[in-house]
Amino acid sequence: MLLILLTVVFTVLRIIPGDPIYALYGGRAPLSVIMALRHRLGLDQPYWQQYVNYIVQIFSGNFGISLGAHYGGQSVTDVIMAKLPATIELSIGSMIVASTVGISVGLISGINRDKVVDVVGRLYGTTIFVIPVFWLGLMLQLLFAVDLRWLPANSRFDISSAPPATITGLYTIDSLLAGRLDLFVIAIRHLALPCLTLGLVLSGFFAKTVRANLLRTINADYVEAARARGIRERTIISRYAFKNALIPVITVLGLQFAILFAGAVLTETTFNWDGMGRLLIDSIEVQDYPLIQGTIIVFSFIIVLISILVDVLSGIIDPRVRY
Amino acid sequence: MLPMLEKRRTLAGVMSWIGLGILVAFIVIAVLAPVIAPYRPTAQFLTPPNPLCGACAPPSFSHWMGTDNLGQDVFTRVLWGAQTSLEVVAIGVILALAVGFPVGLYSGYVGGSIDKAILLVMDSVYAFPGLLLAALVAAMLGKGPFNIAIAITVIYIPLYYRVTRNQTLSVREETYVEAARSLGARPWTIMWVYIAYNVLITIPVIFALSAADAILTAAGLSYLGLGIQLPTPDWGLDLSVAQQYLTDGVWWTSFFPGLMIIILTVGLSFLGEGLNDLINPLLKKGRA
Repeated sequence: MLLILLTVVFTVLRIIPGDPIYALYGGRAPLSVIMALRHRLGLDQPYWQQYVNYIVQIFSGNFGISLGAHYGGQSVTDVIMAKLPATIELSIGSMIVASTVGISVGLISGINRDKVVDVVGRLYGTTIFVIPVFWLGLMLQLLFAVDLRWLPANSRFDISSAPPATITGLYTIDSLLAGRLDLFVIAIRHLALPCLTLGLVLSGFFAKTVRANLLRTINADYVEAARARGIRERTIISRYAFKNALIPVITVLGLQFAILFAGAVLTETTFNWDGMGRLLIDSIEVQDYPLIQGTIIVFSFIIVLISILVDVLSGIIDPRVRY
Repeated sequence: MLPMLEKRRTLAGVMSWIGLGILVAFIVIAVLAPVIAPYRPTAQFLTPPNPLCGACAPPSFSHWMGTDNLGQDVFTRVLWGAQTSLEVVAIGVILALAVGFPVGLYSGYVGGSIDKAILLVMDSVYAFPGLLLAALVAAMLGKGPFNIAIAITVIYIPLYYRVTRNQTLSVREETYVEAARSLGARPWTIMWVYIAYNVLITIPVIFALSAADAILTAAGLSYLGLGIQLPTPDWGLDLSVAQQYLTDGVWWTSFFPGLMIIILTVGLSFLGEGLNDLINPLLKKGRA
């Protein structure tokens, strides 16, 4: 599957009218310079040759050198490594928000089936899912950063203070490793709005899944049996029904990562968050093939990795899945 | 059991009607935008210059939703934006249906290795974040409404393909199809006369839900600067311009375009989910 994606990316990029060198020089460079560059980058080779080189390079972990105006000359791997932690931090934070909010709403909805709370919960699930993530981001910015001035509006860190020394690249972890609680607080304050934005949008799907599954498990035979034995309803919900309702949530979590990445591109733009999503859009704008390829490959790789991880995890949690 | 079913059915009915109402209202707005909008979308009202955001002014009696940094009437642009948005999404989703449906029908009916090969390609595309794929395609084709529609087509083909294929697989085994086959009907006739109609019943639900999603994608592309270009009025694009002035407390230029997107997408997903419950309760295993 990864190979098919790689092929699709290669093909799409080659069909793009215009090429990176033209985008770089805007047609001002003399022809000899352009030809020399094309030769050096292998762009004058036949497509099949380029394709073979491309696949070989990727599997040897070499993503090439950036051709664009922003990162020209730097190794694609280095550029991506510098941006990846920002997106990871954003993703993890959003997932925490999404699962906390989503599972709570779904649980409350499911327990109070067909009551007013349930209708409100279901409306929330449907509505929040179709709110444009960038609009929600802007509105939260307006409320918490502009009006109330509680949180910073954008970027990963305060301009006035230096971020912690890079160990993992995750500002939260790095500041803790450096023992600087003050820097940790700054990092968290910057993370809060982007993660809230993205997390809330993703929480709708969680809420729906949890509710649907809770309704299924709440009437299951083993829950009925527990009820017959006189176990309190609270215990039944928390110990019997809820636990089993959570299993499909793991699967949802995996599926959500694809949506999460799409959302991350938008959220990173809204909050001026210097991560992979911004990198992709920037490199698309200057038609920087190697960088676009590298970014897409990393995204695809993570998605494939997570889907494998989810399969393994649900096998561990739910023995019925193993076969 | 029965009364509960009745109640659920009415809820689904109400949702569908609300959704349909919203959709019709937006289509009317889009068609009549030139008539009902108070000004031209690019007309500039350069009255009191504002140090914060160029020529913008907060909502007032003459400009219900205020004016933007160029002094353009937000209300007018929001109405016209419905036109841009619906155009792009309608073309995109209909094209996706036009490609995905026949391919899914064929793939599901023929089966075997052809089916497996198509399925694998479609699944790979489907697994990839839609917006990122659309961004790549949009970059490939260049900016402009029609190209964005094509980008949207590409990301929704796998969805229509999958739904059609899976439905075809189950309909294929029905007794009446077997009867047709034993009577000597040709594969083409079986596919298009006997199977297609029974598969088509699932399509309105997917159509509404994917249209809702497509509106978000189209707006997202424009927001990222890869979609519609100025001065065309477009919700996503106007939002990205408005963003620059937000930190100065200029809320009206971003609030209203976003609100329009939400109302329309909520309407479409109400329609989709309502129809899903109404048309066929047996199809519930699909995308909820």
